[in-house]
Order: sequence, then C-alpha cells, then structure tokens
Amino acid sequence: MIRITDEILNKYLDGDLSREEAEQVKSGLRASEELMKQYNALKLVHQKLFVMKEDEVSPGFTDTLMMQIVKRKFAIPKQQKYFIFSIATFITLLCLVILGLSISAIISSAPSSIGDSKSVLVSVTNLSDGLVKTLKHTFSGKGLSIIGSIFSFLIIISGYFFFEMQKRAKTSLGNGQQL
Amino acid sequence: MRNLSDQEIIDSVRKGNDSDYSIIINRYKNKAFSMLKRMLKNEFDAEEILQDCFLKAYNSLINFKGEAKFSTWFYRIVYNSALTKLSSQKRKIESEMSSVEEHFDLQSEHNADDFEKKDIQEFIQDIIKKLPERHSAIITMFYLNEMSIEEISDVMGISISNVKVMLHRSRNTLRDLFLKSKLSEEFI
Repeated sequence: MIRITDEILNKYLDGDLSREEAEQVKSGLRASEELMKQYNALKLVHQKLFVMKEDEVSPGFTDTLMMQIVKRKFAIPKQQKYFIFSIATFITLLCLVILGLSISAIISSAPSSIGDSKSVLVSVTNLSDGLVKTLKHTFSGKGLSIIGSIFSFLIIISGYFFFEMQKRAKTSLGNGQQL
Repeated sequence: MRNLSDQEIIDSVRKGNDSDYSIIINRYKNKAFSMLKRMLKNEFDAEEILQDCFLKAYNSLINFKGEAKFSTWFYRIVYNSALTKLSSQKRKIESEMSSVEEHFDLQSEHNADDFEKKDIQEFIQDIIKKLPERHSAIITMFYLNEMSIEEISDVMGISISNVKVMLHRSRNTLRDLFLKSKLSEEFI
C-alpha cells in the first residue's frame, strides 16, 4: 500500500501513476474523507486554472510594434551613417580646397590692371582662361597621377573599412541571439 | 491567412512580407503578456519587455531553423528577457535546484481572507500573482498557454522532473489557500 502524499495526489491527477498505484489511491480516497476533500480541492483548482483568462495588452500594441519594425528596417545604421557622413565631408573639403587653390592661382596670375581694362568681358575671359589653364595643369601629367593615386588609396581604405563594418554587422546579427 | 501555421508565416516574413509578422504578434501577444505580467508583477514593464521580445524575435528569425516549435522558441525569449529584467532590478534569481527548493510560504505570509473574493477565478488569479516568478511562469505556460511539461522544460532550461515539482508545489499552495478560504465551504 502506498502512502498517499500531496505528490502522489498530484501524480494521480495528472495520470502519472501506474494502474496498480492508481487503484490504491482510489481506495485510499474512498476510505478517508479528509483525503477526498484534499483531492477534490486540488482537482477544482486544476480545473479552474484551465479556464483562467489571459491578460490583454493595450490597444494599438500590434500597430505600434509594426511601425517600429518598419522604421528600424529602413533606418541606416548609426555606424554606417557616420561613415557616409565622414566620407562626404572629406570629399567636399577636398573639392573646396582644389577650388580655392585654383581661384587663388587665377587671381595671382590675373593681370593687375583688371580695374583698368577696357571691358569686363575681357577680364572674365582672362579669368576663365586662367581657371582652365590651372585645372589643366593640375589634372594633367604628374598632377593627375598624384591626385589619381590619392583617390585610389582613399577608395581602397574606405572600401576596406566598409567591408569590415558590414561583416561585423552580419556577425552580430548572427550571434546576437543565442536562442 | 489566420489559419496559417507559424512556420508558414515565418517563411512569408523571411521572403519579405513583413506585414505578416503582425499575425504572429496577434497570436502570441496576450499569452506572452500574461506570463510576463505574472513574472514581473508589473503591467508597464511587462508590455515594454514584450515589445523587445517581438523585436528580438523578428531580428533573429534568420536564426530560427524550425527544429523546435516557434512558440517554444519565442517563449524562451520571453522567459529569458523576464529573468534579465528581474536580474537588472536586483531581484534574487536562484539556480535551478535552489529554485526547486524555493521556499514560498504564502500561507503564513497571507491570511486566506486576504484573498477572499466572491469568485474563485478571481481568487486564483490573485494568488498566482503572489507566487514566485518561476512558479507563476510554469502555471501560465501549463494552463494558459497549454504547453506540455517537455516544452516548459525546454523553455526554462530545467529538467522535466523539476518542472513537475514546481508545478505540483504551486498547485498545492493554491489548494491549501483555497481550503482555508470561505470559498471552499461553497465548493467542497
């Protein structure tokens, strides 16, 4: 005869006992009113738990969440944003420096008698000629090779960092959840 | 669309139909919320953590290989997130064994009349809120989410026998408090 403990009653309720053990519990329950009371209470709690109501999230939960998902999907990652911004700033600054240098070269090579010249058109033509000449000089022969090399070097460096960044982002996405 | 299985919906989301993820959200939001609310004992935190869980699950869908059921995988995210939150709140998180031995004596802490309600359902809901987080999580997963003991063991990362012990203890506590209440005279 098994001793009918709380554990045995729970197992009986769950149908985890062998047929023989279940029979013993059944007769034990018949013999003891107190035990029967304990079992009935346990059974009632068990039944009531099955019809327990679920709690509800606030209205609009799904919509808010879906909006967040869409927003995150199309958002440029912060790192990428900084990268693009720094490259764009560098190129802009480089262009401004080139432009500034060209203008200063034109001004210095322009005739001092601009104010005395006969027509504004002539001075503008001179200026534009100077600009073209300076640009030609800068972007031809040795100058072009130097600028080309600098740009190629920058592109290679940027490409490397960009590739590394993408690789890191992919790895963190892959390992982020060990689930 | 509502009759689609979880796996079919996930496949569709992976193909780029993000809006289908809302079906998954609607399918699990209230059940997961119930579990979180009972574990964290706070409605606001529960909803915040639930949002994070759905976002985490969405971002990790690529890692979901379908070896386990989506529900088991998702509830594991929910359960672990709740534990992390509790841990960050400097709440005591005990190891598996000590958790099974977890001492909770609601009967001495509370008079049964504290839980006195007109309705037995309300009475039970009140006591579940007072159970330790792991016990209330098991009760919610087993009864509300209708998960098997094996699935619960998988979610919680503990053995099947430990899940059973914790489930039985929670049930016994509910029964003992019920028997002490005036409600028992009506029902038993």
